[in-house]
Amino acid sequence: MTREQWERLKVLFNGALDQPAERRHEWLTLHAHGDEILAREAGALLLAHDTAEGFLEEPAVVDPTDLAALDELRSGTRIGSYEIEHEIGRGGMGVVYLARDLRLGRPVALKALPQLHDSNAALQERLRREARAAANISHPTVATVYALEEIDGRLFIASEYIDGHSLRSEIESGALERRRAIAIAIDIVSALCAAHDAGVIHRDLKPENVLVTRAGAVKVVDFGIAHIDSINTRLTREGDVIGTPAYMAPEQLIGGTIDARVDIYAVGIILTEMLTGQHPLTAGRHSIHTSASEIARRCVQTDPNERYRSARELLAVLERERSDPTAVTDSLTSPLPEASRARWWWEFHQAAVSIVYAVMVWPTWLARNVIGGQTGNAVFVAVLAAAIVAVTLRLHLWFTSRSYPAELEWARGRSTGWMLVSDAIFASALVVAGVLVGDERPALAVIEIAVAVGAATSFAVVEPATSRAAFRRTNRL
Amino acid sequence: MPLVYDELRRIAAGYIRRERPGQTLQATALVNEAFVRLAAEQPRSFANRQHFVAIAALSMRQILVQRARARKAAKRGGAPNRVTLDEGLVSTEPRGVDVLALDEALTRLAALDPEQARIVELRYFGGLTVEETADVVGVSPATVKRQWAMARAWLKRTVDAAPDDGADAHL
Repeated sequence: MTREQWERLKVLFNGALDQPAERRHEWLTLHAHGDEILAREAGALLLAHDTAEGFLEEPAVVDPTDLAALDELRSGTRIGSYEIEHEIGRGGMGVVYLARDLRLGRPVALKALPQLHDSNAALQERLRREARAAANISHPTVATVYALEEIDGRLFIASEYIDGHSLRSEIESGALERRRAIAIAIDIVSALCAAHDAGVIHRDLKPENVLVTRAGAVKVVDFGIAHIDSINTRLTREGDVIGTPAYMAPEQLIGGTIDARVDIYAVGIILTEMLTGQHPLTAGRHSIHTSASEIARRCVQTDPNERYRSARELLAVLERERSDPTAVTDSLTSPLPEASRARWWWEFHQAAVSIVYAVMVWPTWLARNVIGGQTGNAVFVAVLAAAIVAVTLRLHLWFTSRSYPAELEWARGRSTGWMLVSDAIFASALVVAGVLVGDERPALAVIEIAVAVGAATSFAVVEPATSRAAFRRTNRL
Repeated sequence: MPLVYDELRRIAAGYIRRERPGQTLQATALVNEAFVRLAAEQPRSFANRQHFVAIAALSMRQILVQRARARKAAKRGGAPNRVTLDEGLVSTEPRGVDVLALDEALTRLAALDPEQARIVELRYFGGLTVEETADVVGVSPATVKRQWAMARAWLKRTVDAAPDDGADAHL
């Protein structure tokens, strides 16, 4: 619409509006001078006018928390003895600025903590206490907290300014090289050790809170204060649904008792993300299993008691992982052809052995009839029982490997003993059967003894070999 | 301009400290309070009250649009690893005006009729009465009423015609 048309529309609209409702249409047709499009537009506007009851009638309203969340400090603003340079980040815990400490002439990261209701004196005291505790952590991979400032009734935390990028930006461009992922995890966990020793739990560890300096050093930021916003949120906006923070341990999400192990959980998620480039919740099931992913898996157990007990224990495991020479060439960015082929052979072996065991029940039944009596029955029952146990366990492992690879290590650990016993009984019973029927049915005897030798070779030589190839990297755990 | 912005923020901070959580503020109250405080603190910052409320109304519009955008972006947050606590703050807003659609329509209206757009900004975002608006714009109250009637009809029609984005960004 041109300005000229708009002016004509305005004349039509205002003119028609002055008419009684029933005469408007007629008036419009008369005064539009044949411009039907304009007449129709004016008619539509009149209709909108009549139905606009209440629309924009009341002035806009605003939630004070929205206002408080605005970019508030501009370049050059003085806050106590700090001069704001510019905003460098904004997150759950408020806004972070790059500022200059005018007393010492050094740059600092100045965090403006969320404004709290005056009645929350207890909470404010807690914030102060936690910020002080965080200031007590001294470690090369923890961003040092310089000061807690209270200016105009508002809390600010001044800490070491880190010129670099966040781990998030690295993960966004894909999985990290395995060795680097382990090294970063070690730096994070070292920071946790120092913090936990000082009695500070991070509570909101995530790739955004792990910074990498230009020189490549890792620095964990926001110890002990990152969760403030979640408290604040609960207090200021009751009834709101809080999203599912993807790094929070289950007990944290449900508001249960929290201890240092929530940080261990977060490390598990971050480690997986570094190794695969994806958050475990979006990554789906991984069929590749390496010792590093096993460490991550142990960290993210739902039950805190099943995680590593402390950051120190996790640190030791990670350091062993770093020095493990068998894992050096390992990379998780793509499936390992060698490892998955070995796993396939191992699965094939399990299936093949199961079939042979099942089939051998039939010749042994024939042998029982030849031998006869108690002995025949005993031999047959021994073979049958051993075959049932061995086949059941092998199919169980085969199924676990295919469907729940994460549980395989555990399942294998539990069945190995039983398999050895059943294999031994099976082979021995076959030898006995073969010897007993030897004179009458030489062919049957040959089959029984040949399979017994085959089974013995299989469990003594072949199976350890395929298992070793398939599980080389996880056997250690 | 930044002065008004800062003042609005300070007032909001005061409200959070004093009032019960979850309360909303009407633009009228906020703008008035900001004016009273600024006039007392820095009497020379503004040519007059008209000048001040015009800026305050524009600030309010920007603030509401900025927050509505942030909310919308948060709601569409996507992958769980992008969820931060801030996004957890997403709240359901009362009242049925889609601020983003209104802002867009108002920008289009300003191209056709700057005066009408200004009147809407002052009345809706600044919370001014017809008389106050007439004072600021420099026209008669009758003109404000006429212009307001048409602008409101046109905006209503334009906002309703815009593709519905679902319940996002309603304020």
